[in-house]
Amino acid sequence: MNGIDRGSFLPAGGAPTPISESEQTRQLKSTLLKDIQRSAYVYRVDCGGCNGCEIEIFAAITPIFDAERFGIKVVASPRHADILLFTGAVTRAMLTPAQRAYEAAPNPKICIAYGACGCGGGIFHDLYCVWGGTDKVVPVDVYIPGCPPTPAATLYGFAVALGLLDQKLKAGHHRQGDAERALVAHPGLPLDLCVRIEREARRMVGYRDGRRIADDFLEILAAPANQPLADRVHRYLQTEDDPRLAEVIARLVDVSARPAGQEAP
Amino acid sequence: MTLSTETRIGRHYVEALRERFPSTVLEEEWQTDDQVTVTVKVNALPEVVEWLYYQQGGWLSVLFGNDERQLHGNYAVYYVLSMEETVKSWVVVRAQVDAGTLEFPSVTPRVPAAVWGEREIRDMYGLIPVGLPDERRLVLPDDWPDGLYPLRKDAMDYRERPAPTTAVETYPFVNDARGETRDVGLGPLHITSDEPGHFRLFVDGETIVDADYRLFYVHRGMEKLAETRMGYDEVTFLSDRVCGICGFTHSVAYTSSVENALGIKAPPRAQMIRSLFLEVERLHSHLLNIGLASHFVGFDTGFMQFFRVREKSMTLAELLTGARKTYGMNLIGGVRRDILKDQRIATLKVVRELRTEVAQLVEMLIETPNLAQRTQGIGILDRKVARDFSPVGPLIRGSGFKRDIRADHHYAGYAQLPFDVKVLDGGDVQSRVLVRVKEFFDSLDLIERALELMPEGPILLEGFDYTPHRFALGFAEAPRGEDIHWSMTGDNQKLFRWRCRAPTYANWPALRYMLRGNTVSDAPLIVASLDPCYSCTDRVTLVDVKKRKSSTIAYTEFERYGRERKHSPLK
Repeated sequence: MNGIDRGSFLPAGGAPTPISESEQTRQLKSTLLKDIQRSAYVYRVDCGGCNGCEIEIFAAITPIFDAERFGIKVVASPRHADILLFTGAVTRAMLTPAQRAYEAAPNPKICIAYGACGCGGGIFHDLYCVWGGTDKVVPVDVYIPGCPPTPAATLYGFAVALGLLDQKLKAGHHRQGDAERALVAHPGLPLDLCVRIEREARRMVGYRDGRRIADDFLEILAAPANQPLADRVHRYLQTEDDPRLAEVIARLVDVSARPAGQEAP
Repeated sequence: MTLSTETRIGRHYVEALRERFPSTVLEEEWQTDDQVTVTVKVNALPEVVEWLYYQQGGWLSVLFGNDERQLHGNYAVYYVLSMEETVKSWVVVRAQVDAGTLEFPSVTPRVPAAVWGEREIRDMYGLIPVGLPDERRLVLPDDWPDGLYPLRKDAMDYRERPAPTTAVETYPFVNDARGETRDVGLGPLHITSDEPGHFRLFVDGETIVDADYRLFYVHRGMEKLAETRMGYDEVTFLSDRVCGICGFTHSVAYTSSVENALGIKAPPRAQMIRSLFLEVERLHSHLLNIGLASHFVGFDTGFMQFFRVREKSMTLAELLTGARKTYGMNLIGGVRRDILKDQRIATLKVVRELRTEVAQLVEMLIETPNLAQRTQGIGILDRKVARDFSPVGPLIRGSGFKRDIRADHHYAGYAQLPFDVKVLDGGDVQSRVLVRVKEFFDSLDLIERALELMPEGPILLEGFDYTPHRFALGFAEAPRGEDIHWSMTGDNQKLFRWRCRAPTYANWPALRYMLRGNTVSDAPLIVASLDPCYSCTDRVTLVDVKKRKSSTIAYTEFERYGRERKHSPLK
C-alpha cells in the first residue's frame, strides 16, 4: 500500500494513536522556519468539517484577504506541502486518509489544527463516529480557534505557524480583596426594577442591544429629576432618532410605571 | 393540539386516502393546521406512498425510522410527503414496524426517491426494507461492525467507539466493467474547499456511461448527539453547525419544528428577522456557487471577481448577526438580535452596492462565450428523473418544476414577502446557474422589503410549556434546496428523535442520471451545479468499459482537464 503500513493507523483499544515526531524532525522544522526563502505551501485536509472552515479558508485566499501576498499558497497535493491544515473533527472514515496525507507530506512539515472542531473536536468531540480533534491523530504545532475562524484569524495563524508572529497567550488571575465588592450598576434604583427593565429590553431587542438600551434607560431613570421623565426620554429619543428604539423605550417606560408582578400583556 | 377541523389544510388528502384504501388508515393526527401524520397498515405502505406521490402531486421530502419501542413496543417509519399540486400541505405516512421481525415492505421499487432513506434506516436501526434493490451501506463507515445500530435506543452509548473491523474500504461500487481493473490510490482529499467523497465514473472513451459514488465520509453522529447529550433548546446551536454554508437555514428549520411540535408561535418581528437573515445567507451562498461555476468553465477572472463581491455579503452577515458564518441567532420562540436603525441603514447600503456590482459581473459572465459553450445542454436533469427522485432547490427549478418551500409552505416571514419562483426549462447546467442569478436579485429585493415591512413587538417568546412526545416538521429553503427537520420531544427536556435532512441528500441520487452521456471533462461542472455544499468529485476513478482498464486520477488533474480540455488523463 504505497510503502505505508496501514495497519499501524488502526486505533488500539478504541482510540487512535497519534503519530509521534522524532527529535531530528523537530530540529529540521526550526531550521525550515529560519531559512525558508520561498513561499510556504499549504495543503488542506478536511477530516470531517461542516464546510464553514473551508469557506473561510477560501475567503482568506481570494482577493479581499489574499494570503498569497504573504507567499502563502494553497497547493494540490500533500507531497508539495510545507504546512498541513486540518479542519473538522476527525471522523472514522477520514482517519486513514488524514494520516496518509500526513505521511505523504515531506518532512519537516508544520501541522495546523483549524477551527473549533480541528482544535479539539468541538461540539462533536466524543461522538461514536468521531475520533476527536486533530491532535489525536497527528502532532499539531499551531491551533487556530474559532467557529469558523475569520480570514483575519487565519492569516494570523499562518504568521504564527511561519514563526513571524508569536501566539498571543495572556493569563490573568484576580483575587478578591477583603474590602473589595463588585460594583452594582445603577445603585440608586431598586434591583427588582432593574431586572424587570433589562428583561423586557432583551425580549424586545435581544441580548446585545437590549443590555445597552436598558442601561441607557436606567441611567435616564436614575438621573436627578430636574425635568419630568417624559421630557428626558423625549430628548434621548430625539438624539437617537430611531423609531424602533422609541417603541422599545415606550415599553420600558410602561414597565417602570407598573409595580412588580403586573407585567405588560 | 385541538384544531377545529375547518382550518385544516389538506384534510381532503386524508379523506381520499380513506376512500381509496378502505380500512388501511389506523390513525390520523394533526400537528399543525397543514401537517397531518397518518398511520397506515405496514403492508399497505408502498401503495399508499406511491398513490400520494404520483396521483396526488406529492414529493418525498424525507423518510426516517424511529425507535418507539419505549412508547408502544414497535419501531416506526415515517415518509414525509410535501403535497404541492392544488392544495399545499404536508402528509406524513407512518407505519409501525414489528420489533421482532424488523421487516417492512420497501417503497423504493415504486417510488425511487425513497432509496437513500431506506438504506439509512437499514444502517441506523437495522430494520429490513423487504425488496430494496440497493442493500449497500449508506451512512456508516466501512470499518463499522455489523449488527451495531447507532440510533436504537438500547444499542450503545453515544460515546461508544467500536474498534474498527477493517483498515481498507470495502464499499462495493456498482461497476459495469468486467475483467481486471487497476486502481491507483489517492485519498478522498483535495485542494478545493469541499467535503470528501469518492466518485466512480464508468466511461467509454470520453463519454460517461454510468457513475457511482460513496459519500458520508464526514458522518459524525449528530442525530444521536442531539438525542443524548444536549437539551432540546441547545440543539438550535448544533443545527447551526450542520452545514457551514447554510447553517442558519438549518437552525430555522429546527426551531420551527420544535415550535410546531409544542404549538407555539414566534412573534411576527422574530419571524421577519429570520426571513431576512435567511436571504442574507442566500446571497453569499449563491455568489459562491456562481463564482465556482465560472471557475469550472475556465473563467477564473470571474471566479475571483465574484469572490471579491461576495465579501460584501459576508460583511453584511457580520453586521447583522455578529458572525460571518454560523450565526447562532435562533432560539426556540424567537431570535437573539434585533435590527435597529444603524443596522438597517448599513444593510440598505450594502444591498444597493451588491445589486450594481453583481449586475455588472453577471453581464460579464453571460457574455463570456465559455459559459454558454460549456453549460448549455450539459448535465441535463430529465423531467421524468426529476419527478421520480424529488430533488430540490435550483436543481429542480432549472428543470421546469416550480418547487420552492418559501412559496409552497409558509414559515418565517414569507407570508408577507410574496415573490415569483424563478423557473427555467433547460434542465442543464446553464439553467441552474441562471436560476441562481435570478434568485440572488430576488433575495436583495426580499431583504429590502423585509426591512420595510418589519413588524413591531418583541423578538422572543418566553414562558411556553414543554410537552413530552410531541412531534412536527420544520422546514426552510436553503440556497441549494429545502432543509427538512422532524423533531420529537422526549420526557427529559431532550429530543426523543431528531431527523435533519440537508438538501444535497435529496439531490445526490439523481446525479447519476445527470452524468450519463456527458463527457468526462464536464463532470466537475455538473457536480458543482448541484451546489453540493461544494463539489465532491474528489478521488475520481475512471473505468473504461471497452478497454477494461481503470485508473484513479487526482482531482486537480481532473479539474484541470475540465477547464482546459487538453491532455486527457484517460490516455
